[in-house]
Amino acid sequence: MSKNRVYILGGYQTDFARNWTKEGKHFLAMMRESVRGALHACALDPQDIEAAHVGNFAAELYCKQGHLGAFFVEVDPVFRGLPTSRHEAACASGSIALLAGSAEIEAGRYDLVAVCGIEAMKTVGSKEGGDYLGTAAWYELEARGVDFPFPKLFGQLGDEYDKRYGLKAEHLDAISVVNYANAKLNPYAQTRTWYMSKDHACAKGDDNPAVGGRIHLTDCSQVTDGAATVFLASERYATAYARTRGIKLSSLPYIKGWGHSTASIRFADKIEQSKGQEYVLPTVRKTITDAFRRAKMNDVTELSGIETHDCFTTSEYMAIDHFGITKPGESYKAIEEGWIEIGGKMPINPSGGLIGAGHPVGATGVRQVLDCFKQVTGTAGDYQVEGARNFATLNIGGSGTTSVTFIVGT
Amino acid sequence: MADVRASRQLAESRPIKKVVVLGANGTMGYQSGALFAAAGAQTTFLARTRDKARQGRDGAGRAVRSSALTKLIDVGCYSEDLPQAVAQADLIFEAVAENFEIKHEMLELIDRHRRPDSIVATVSSGLSITDLAKSRSESFARNFLGLHFFNPPQVIVGTELIAGQATDPALVDFIDAYSTHKLGRLMVRTANTPGFAGNRIGFKVLNEVCQLAEEYGPLVIDKVVGRYTGRALAPLATVDLVGWDVHQAICDNIYDKVKDEAIETYRMPDYMRRLIAAGTLGTKSGKGFFMRNKGEPLRVLDIKSGEYKDARSIEVPKLPFAEQIIFLNSIGAYKRAMEVFTTAEGKWANLARKVIGGYISYALCRVGEVTESVIGVDSIMAAGFNWAPPSALVEAIGVKSTVKILEDNKLTVPPLLERALKNGTERFFDEPRLSLGKYFVAKS
Repeated sequence: MSKNRVYILGGYQTDFARNWTKEGKHFLAMMRESVRGALHACALDPQDIEAAHVGNFAAELYCKQGHLGAFFVEVDPVFRGLPTSRHEAACASGSIALLAGSAEIEAGRYDLVAVCGIEAMKTVGSKEGGDYLGTAAWYELEARGVDFPFPKLFGQLGDEYDKRYGLKAEHLDAISVVNYANAKLNPYAQTRTWYMSKDHACAKGDDNPAVGGRIHLTDCSQVTDGAATVFLASERYATAYARTRGIKLSSLPYIKGWGHSTASIRFADKIEQSKGQEYVLPTVRKTITDAFRRAKMNDVTELSGIETHDCFTTSEYMAIDHFGITKPGESYKAIEEGWIEIGGKMPINPSGGLIGAGHPVGATGVRQVLDCFKQVTGTAGDYQVEGARNFATLNIGGSGTTSVTFIVGT
Repeated sequence: MADVRASRQLAESRPIKKVVVLGANGTMGYQSGALFAAAGAQTTFLARTRDKARQGRDGAGRAVRSSALTKLIDVGCYSEDLPQAVAQADLIFEAVAENFEIKHEMLELIDRHRRPDSIVATVSSGLSITDLAKSRSESFARNFLGLHFFNPPQVIVGTELIAGQATDPALVDFIDAYSTHKLGRLMVRTANTPGFAGNRIGFKVLNEVCQLAEEYGPLVIDKVVGRYTGRALAPLATVDLVGWDVHQAICDNIYDKVKDEAIETYRMPDYMRRLIAAGTLGTKSGKGFFMRNKGEPLRVLDIKSGEYKDARSIEVPKLPFAEQIIFLNSIGAYKRAMEVFTTAEGKWANLARKVIGGYISYALCRVGEVTESVIGVDSIMAAGFNWAPPSALVEAIGVKSTVKILEDNKLTVPPLLERALKNGTERFFDEPRLSLGKYFVAKS
């Protein structure tokens, strides 16, 4: 890690249960609420912001609008003239925006940077939306003419686990149940009022139909409208920020480490390339170990918990062994032992994750880091992991293609 | 954090393993019953016949989209199964028809069979909890309270909790914590006043627009006081959905029992009484202010003739100020939108301000009467009615401008606003539990 630390001052996420199309709103309303909410949460003067980064996957498709960086300027008249940009890496767009913002702080260009992840997805029906999401894969080769391509791709991830190590449906069901249960503790979670039980997740049929191979409805993350904003600051700004609030600089979380790698875009190529290896998705493993190395951490035992990318239960199943919580292929052990639950040895997605809290594609990476911030500052409310010191994210774009990890701690 | 933990512990302090729902065939009965079953309680649905109870159970499964839930629900009928089911229940949830005599009779039956330590909750939307407990045993009255879910409870989390005169305060605390943590409710404690908090404030507005509809026509009124004024559904469409008979019961109950500065807005118009007698009950009867048939154009009640006219043949004024507000709301510029609302000129803007000003005035005047603090009133209007909470409107309009709207319309300025004006309070509303922007709807 470079010597210029990147501090996180806090932020705000919108209520992921909201349907902004039903409210008749443009995504600018979402961006505005998220940025203003973050300013309010941190009691920051908007004049202090020196640059802004927007993470977004597909507003061109969902909203027929590009150039999202320009919309940040519309949030407040004082932002006119601000350097802004938009970043895209499918479901990892939010993390890429964070990487860009943190690089600017590290380089000493700016002292305070805003990062906003945003996606409006309820503008279209589920089939059309599924087709748009297909552009996160190699559309021509993997998604054209396929109904709901992504559940099928992540179903194949489960198939590969099954082939190499064996995989039981009950373990995937348990992942879903834990995420839904955690979401009930999160006042911003999309599914917080939904019904979920072990019986329901295990029931495969009309209530819980198959959507792609072994992937059933309860294995899926949600179609979500949402935005999340965080502020990244240099040590200089953070020091002044802490002083005026009468808190210690050491109580402010910073980015201890990060990892970022990109694999072949086609799922079949990724699997072909990892043949004979322990890890099904070695580039994801590399992202995680890079983050540990940069954070000067030996392994996962130095974390208090994880916010991972559970776009489907199979992706969380993959994250468990790729983080090194268990040996490769033994993720089921962590599930059976209750390690991944709040109060367990390594809580995963106390927020409810993408399955429970929701998955506004471009916002997810930022939302994950915001949740890490809440955990390590003891402000996660009902879903707080007791005594959390260090929290990590894993944000994935495509079928395990772009992966980003942040380790956030005090 | 400490508060959350204590409240969570309280929710766990008393196991609710068995619940019985009476009136389980009704919408409120089975949907509320689904909440108890979803919280893991072994739930028994009772109705007049087992078939009806079974229908309720199917409805519960549909409400949560899971047949797995129905495995936790038994069914039975009053004549054969009530004594045993009530005797075994930790919590008895009474959701029979909203009629004092019917409820009274059912509660008497419950009193006869219940265990002395079981909890009895009624889902009344405004009947006196104290009166319902009269002539019941002492242990019944101590363990009896009102738990008012709003329809549909799967979606609307705002819930009123009402203690009667004899209700054990510790029980109220427990049900508050249990409903919050186990049933996922946003709880609001209200006084045992007619209509409690939500209906008392909400139906004032709804009935006032019913009165205004006589002069201006339903289509115009639902446009002038449309969704852009801070609601998920236009007000007369809401009355249709609620049911005119239910509207009548709630308004008459409040008009009979309450004296306040705006009670005349609660006098239900004669045309509604006439039409109710002739079978106009809103959506459930196929006709109310509006008649919507699939594939046909919307038809609108002509109040004078009682006939329905094609909406396209009715002249509706253009409202440029409303269009501007809708655009500003659509980009999240809520304060600017309210500025337009405050300054717009003309008859229709005046009418809209009169109704919304009336809502703010009436709601804030009730603080201290129907709920202890303003947050109670705000929470139930937001999380129960899906309306912009009064304080959020004040916050967006500004204290000074709000007071001016009230004065212009000869409405009572609530003490709360007078104080805020005197103290120069800038931030009138700050409640993180409510997602405020949601209520500034960008639709006509």
